[in-house]
Amino acid sequence: MSSKQQDLKDTERLPEATAKKVQTLALGVAAVGLALSAVGYMGDKQRFAFSFLTAFEWVTTLGLGALFFVMIQHVTRAGWSVAPRRHAEWLTSILWVSPILFFVGVFPNMHTLYEHWLGEHAAHDAIVKAKQAYLNTGFFTGRAVLFFAIWAVLAWFFQSKSREQDSSGDTKLTEKMQAMAAPGLALFALSQTFAGFDWVMSMDPHWYSTIFGVYMFAGGVVAALSVLAIINIRLQSAGLLQKVSTVEHQHDIGKLLFGFTVFWTYIAFSQYFLIWYGNIPEETIFFKHRWVESWKEWSLLLLVGHFIVPVVVLMSRHTKRNKAILTVMAVWMLLMHFVDMYWLVMPNLDHHGVHFTLGDVGALFLCAGLGFALVARRAAASPLFPLKDPRLAEAHKVENL
Amino acid sequence: MAEAKPKVRGKVVAAPTCAAVVGWFETPSALYHACESLRDKGYKDFDAHTPFPVHGLEKAMGLKPSRLPWIVLGGAITGFLTALSMQWWMGGVDYPLNISGKPGFSIQASIPILFELTVLLSAFGTFFGLWGLCGLPKLFDPVMQHPSFHKASDDRFFLSIEAKDPKFDSKTVTELLQKLGAHEVEEVAP
Amino acid sequence: MSAFIPRDVDNTLTTVERPPLILGKQSFNAITESVSDVVEGKTKRGWLVFFALALFGLMILGASLSDLVGVGIGEWGLNHPVGWAWDITGFVFWIGIGHAGTLISAILFLFRQKWRTSINRAAEAMTLFAVAAALIYPGFHVGRIWLAYWLLPIPNQMAIWPNFKSPLLWDVFAVSTYGTVSALFWFVGLVPDLATLRDRATTKSRRIAYGIFAMGWRGSHRHWLNYEKAYMILAGLSTPLVLSVHTIVSFDFATSIMPGWHTTIFPPYFVAGAVFSGFAMVVSLMVLVRKAYGLEHLITLRHLENMNKIILATGSMVGYAYAMEFFIAWYSGNVYERYAFINRAFGPYAWAYWTMVSCNVITPQLFWFRKIRTSIPAMFALSIFVNIGMWFERFVIIVTSLHRDYLPSSWGYFRPQIVDITTFIGTFGLFFTLFLVFIRFLPGIAISEVKGVLPIADPHGHDDHHGDEKEVAHG
Repeated sequence: MSSKQQDLKDTERLPEATAKKVQTLALGVAAVGLALSAVGYMGDKQRFAFSFLTAFEWVTTLGLGALFFVMIQHVTRAGWSVAPRRHAEWLTSILWVSPILFFVGVFPNMHTLYEHWLGEHAAHDAIVKAKQAYLNTGFFTGRAVLFFAIWAVLAWFFQSKSREQDSSGDTKLTEKMQAMAAPGLALFALSQTFAGFDWVMSMDPHWYSTIFGVYMFAGGVVAALSVLAIINIRLQSAGLLQKVSTVEHQHDIGKLLFGFTVFWTYIAFSQYFLIWYGNIPEETIFFKHRWVESWKEWSLLLLVGHFIVPVVVLMSRHTKRNKAILTVMAVWMLLMHFVDMYWLVMPNLDHHGVHFTLGDVGALFLCAGLGFALVARRAAASPLFPLKDPRLAEAHKVENL
Repeated sequence: MAEAKPKVRGKVVAAPTCAAVVGWFETPSALYHACESLRDKGYKDFDAHTPFPVHGLEKAMGLKPSRLPWIVLGGAITGFLTALSMQWWMGGVDYPLNISGKPGFSIQASIPILFELTVLLSAFGTFFGLWGLCGLPKLFDPVMQHPSFHKASDDRFFLSIEAKDPKFDSKTVTELLQKLGAHEVEEVAP
Repeated sequence: MSAFIPRDVDNTLTTVERPPLILGKQSFNAITESVSDVVEGKTKRGWLVFFALALFGLMILGASLSDLVGVGIGEWGLNHPVGWAWDITGFVFWIGIGHAGTLISAILFLFRQKWRTSINRAAEAMTLFAVAAALIYPGFHVGRIWLAYWLLPIPNQMAIWPNFKSPLLWDVFAVSTYGTVSALFWFVGLVPDLATLRDRATTKSRRIAYGIFAMGWRGSHRHWLNYEKAYMILAGLSTPLVLSVHTIVSFDFATSIMPGWHTTIFPPYFVAGAVFSGFAMVVSLMVLVRKAYGLEHLITLRHLENMNKIILATGSMVGYAYAMEFFIAWYSGNVYERYAFINRAFGPYAWAYWTMVSCNVITPQLFWFRKIRTSIPAMFALSIFVNIGMWFERFVIIVTSLHRDYLPSSWGYFRPQIVDITTFIGTFGLFFTLFLVFIRFLPGIAISEVKGVLPIADPHGHDDHHGDEKEVAHG
């Protein structure tokens, strides 16, 4: 190994104790979640089905955001992001937990969640009948299987090729991943759009919005970037990564977090504004449901918390480079992503204001805990950065103006 | 030159015939290191003149970051408030138009123009702030008199030490620049 | 110091190594020479031929507009129910073309895409001229052109203000802001290069002309420090601005409740389409310019390939939006929505719809193949197709939604009149006249920026023997 490469030596693996701690923490959160979920489930089975869907969407969109991050780095041949890309690869493991969560926690409750197109009155509903070719159990299930298969395979492909390179150092693998990224993104765009239509938008089958898939996507990327920021800062602070992932990379992730928060706002605003201005009853009902009683405050919380606060705070270069501030903002954005998912799902059940319960927290802890338990396992089993990535030296040299 | 030398004894004051001492380097890295040593020697009023912004040179010169963002912020706030008050007063107070029963003024419908004017005035702030901070337009500057200065916008990397620097002494700095590897070190008239 | 990379090296090969951005002689002076040569050299015969053609187009524009102002806009083939057609199609077409310039100068800058330096100047100029061509339409559609100031909130004899709830007024603000900010950004970028031309000037008139606009720029690093900050801020401002412009253009349609117009994906879809058409125009222009002025070593095949990749990406986004529109129209279960889309694809304007789909979605998919991405004739043809397709996209959106409204008795078929056609041809004359003047008298490639991306521009480069201590210690 040349002296240049030796300069880039960073800690390769999580210390065993840390790895164990993180895994125990995730499993602990899942266990608490399970207990709270049990309480929620006993209390109100119908309500818990909705809570679980919210939590499932929170963790799944996060995993999808990470998958997008990995592929976009490959497709643009990015050099700065070598280490964050590895961390995003870990996060894509969530997409292996998601199908289990879906088929155990969402699928059996289909009749509760999607009763507007599955229930009895659907047969007398002319609008719903007009879309039966799409909204029916068989096709819905088939699509879900297909989406999960696409995501699981993509996640496996990018993780395994990247790990293979850790030992072989073969640059052909980089080329393979780059070649796969563009078609991967096309598959990703379509599958995650229709997943959004199926699992969330179809809860109110009368309502439709062409931008809905993009909206789900934007929120997921914000959540994934928040986790990447936290991982970057934790690894820096623990002294594990000092060279391939530094404050410069933190700054870059912060910039992307800022950018995608603005993008989310842009998409959310486009959807809201056009429906508000058009003022057609069949469309405005969506926002009407989310503006009654305490839902109004919840909607305003989304506006302030998911847009104004992060944009104001993250505008400055100093806040993005500050470990404490960026950590707080990342946690805040993860919370806001939950507020967003809750805002999408729960008004379909609660027509008279927010009805927050322990079951909501339980489901979130359970889904997040299980998802991150696998992420932590993968993180413990893999090096902290791609050891032999051909662009490691470039990542080391990154500097922000 | 001698007759223009300082009248105050024992204190080095720049000769009015000399505005700066100017020389040039062949590569960005040579200039970079020259700037570093000038900074370390305590010179303040010196400047580099390069055909493109040499990365990181401000560190070598010991310059403070640009104050431009504050001017831009001022522009942004002005634009935002102008757009808000204009739309509210013109559309909501002075002459509300009733079109399809929509309110004369509403926050939602004001957002596009709020955004545009905020950006427009921020851009004005950036543009005029930039030239204001640079002190441009200023069609003549003493350093331009250096016989090779026309190459400063092509492929040479100039360094000038100005007479107003407290440590300035034309002979010392000329020797210093020559020692640092500068070519054609010359004094320029004000 | 002046390394040499052969001009015929293929720098598009996809290896993990970063291929060189610039070919040919790798010295600062060589770049100054090749770019300034275009401005300082003799006028080429080809330029004169093109310029004569463009001037002829400009004259057609002048004649059409004089006629239009004299007779009135009843001359356009507009009638109920098609109250908008070629005018707004032309407006959106040109505004869209402008978007690539801002994307290259601002967004690619923020993403640290250094390859942008060879093409940003010309693309930014293209933005300005496209905006100028676009402004012809809203300017002249008022009919009585001397009252065009009514578009702005300026007190007038009726003591009435513009309607701030109207997307068309938002357009006035968006497009004028966009034109202004693009011009400022472009001028800021030009100043150091104008100084280069001033310093090289051999005649007094040139020195004065370039000197005034260079404003006494002397490359001071104290100035560069502010300059780089300003450049970054302008890039940061232009990025949301460019998105907002086509978003607001899309609001012209989407805030209505017209089937086929009122759909929430319009804002990002219009932006993607704009970038798509703009990049196609940049590719068409650059293929010609680099050949005509021998700039193949600065605007390399790799630059063109990267642009083709962006065309592929944005073309696919546009295809995604078409698919979403179609799917949701069906999914909505709304008979009017469904009809609007069936009518688009199979109604009297099916020919326009399928032209649009072929040029915008199908042919750009050929760019998946590296052979086609790097073939000059192929990319030239495909980029022209994209521009045809994007013109048709606006035409399809506007005319197919309008020509069959809710009242079947008023259904009709729009046919353009001679003034519609000559005005549109004339805007090309305006655009190319301005572009040719620009290419002849201003540096078409950002000299100072290209120098900055050369490997020798790095003060800590490989040939640096007194590097910082860290490197020395490990070396």
